[in-house]
Amino acid sequence: MPEVTADVRIRALDELDLNGIVRIDEKITGIYRPDIWEQRVMFYTRRDPGASQVAESGGKVVGFMLGDCRAGEFGLEEPSGWIERFGIDPDHRGKDLGRRMFDAICAHFKAEGATSVRTLVDRTDEPVAGFLKAIGFGESPLAALERKL
Amino acid sequence: MALKVENVELPKKYHDAVEHWHRHNFKDYELLLKYWDKYFPKDDQFCLCAKMELGTTDVIQIGDFKGQPKKLKPNEMTEEQAKHLLAIIKAQASTEFGSIQQHAGTVDRAPEDEDKFWTMRVMAEELRHGYQMLHLLLSEDWSSVSGGVTGEQMVEEILSMTTGSHVLDAFNLDYDSYTDNVVFAACIDRVGKYQLTMQKVCAYKPMADSMPPMLREEAFHLAAGVIPMRRWAQKAAQGDVFVTMKMMQHAVNKWLPRGMEMFGDERGGDTNVNFGFKDMKNDEASSMYHEEVRKMIRDINTRFIRARFPDYAPDKAEAVLDELERSRGTHQGLAWTDLLRTPDKRFFRRKGVHAFAMVGIDGEVFTDAEEYLRYLALNLNDGYIASRDMKLYAAALRSVASGQKTVAEAMKEMPRLKRVGGSCPCSKGVRWVMEDKDGDQTTVAVRN
Repeated sequence: MPEVTADVRIRALDELDLNGIVRIDEKITGIYRPDIWEQRVMFYTRRDPGASQVAESGGKVVGFMLGDCRAGEFGLEEPSGWIERFGIDPDHRGKDLGRRMFDAICAHFKAEGATSVRTLVDRTDEPVAGFLKAIGFGESPLAALERKL
Repeated sequence: MALKVENVELPKKYHDAVEHWHRHNFKDYELLLKYWDKYFPKDDQFCLCAKMELGTTDVIQIGDFKGQPKKLKPNEMTEEQAKHLLAIIKAQASTEFGSIQQHAGTVDRAPEDEDKFWTMRVMAEELRHGYQMLHLLLSEDWSSVSGGVTGEQMVEEILSMTTGSHVLDAFNLDYDSYTDNVVFAACIDRVGKYQLTMQKVCAYKPMADSMPPMLREEAFHLAAGVIPMRRWAQKAAQGDVFVTMKMMQHAVNKWLPRGMEMFGDERGGDTNVNFGFKDMKNDEASSMYHEEVRKMIRDINTRFIRARFPDYAPDKAEAVLDELERSRGTHQGLAWTDLLRTPDKRFFRRKGVHAFAMVGIDGEVFTDAEEYLRYLALNLNDGYIASRDMKLYAAALRSVASGQKTVAEAMKEMPRLKRVGGSCPCSKGVRWVMEDKDGDQTTVAVRN
């Protein structure tokens, strides 16, 4: 059973969470890339403010989940929630933060009229694939396809 | 993608009036719509309409009437309540249209097209927020508390305001450069976020229902301020000669004090809470705001330090910033004063509990008015210190410091230019008057 931490607050993303997100990404990937995260945070704050979530502990961002509600793409006319990026500070894993952020983003999607939530995953990334399976994601009739150019 | 929102259009006459207004005050509005998909792909098209959140609570959440049904019409409130709320709505409308006029002055100086389109989207959404407030004024009858002023006259009054005649001081200052567009969004729109958040509980349901859609749009406005500031900090750290931390500091010094004053006197706010219009008093809200600006400044400084010392790990950069904040010294040639600082709450104030206190950015106390004015001149941008606003502030400060005026008298006598006559720039003449403390008016200028 994961340890559920009471002092963690799950709330909507805002523009002052950028440093925290950059820091988590850097801890995970070893790469400092503020420009990329500035673009993504700007995208989500204008695209669907209130959807993306962060986990905050002791005044610091220790997890994030970015996504939005869309319709009309890939032949999907009904609104769907899409989760694009998420990350949890390695020092704060095992505290059920991912599930709590997922519950919060799904509540937002439902309020927007979505009846399903979608994402893409690299199946070779076992921790991420395992997390998504644990929170209820399963196979979809839609498949991600690609070919080399 | 907001399915729980009802879009409402004003009656054609008023909708057309707003359309006419933006042709004079927001000349690139059509350009924004034309290139919307290029700069904001996948986003819903801009809608000039009022947006009312559906499914909100029907019960008053705070104050003397907590637990009672929310009010749906002005005449369901006491006269005092309705008058108070009417003043809030008119002030809110004034700020929305006012900020567009301010942005318009310098938006064309944006260094990149993306910057310009971000600012123009902010302007368009402020236009929508103003439209929202007009909807609140026009959708119900306020005549019993408006002193006989009709909805049409209230709209006329709001749309005829220009920079210098708006209700709140922050909206009567001209921008001096594009830096103001960005820092205003980061600092003053942040006050807007607080006001809208506090008003989500409003006991007048149409007002409460107006807040969530406005707040969602405000999130972008804050990002449109903070993200350019972060990018500028990086450029400044890397030695870009056209972007400096000093430039941003001067703009923060200009706007933050006015932002603090937008919350109202620190000793007040009880009426708003008692009437159920807001859920925080002035001091509590402005203190939270000041703390949030401190966090914003710290984030930007961290961005600066990481760019200045690219080999530093995040923990090292944070430790350097902590040490500079504590010691106010230097690190590897980087001085504390090279970074952005959050001005003290008492800095450069002209309203509220700290009005005309002579306190510096870092809390240093001055005892001589001339010395303090020289200090301000060094810490504000050239365009602003040469302004009429500074001239009037300096005169008021000198009169307080010399004992000729009390602080309360000086606050009241800070003149406010008010434009009267003519409903829009199509009019031939504009008469400017200066209001004295008794509300009598003296014409000071006429321009044709």
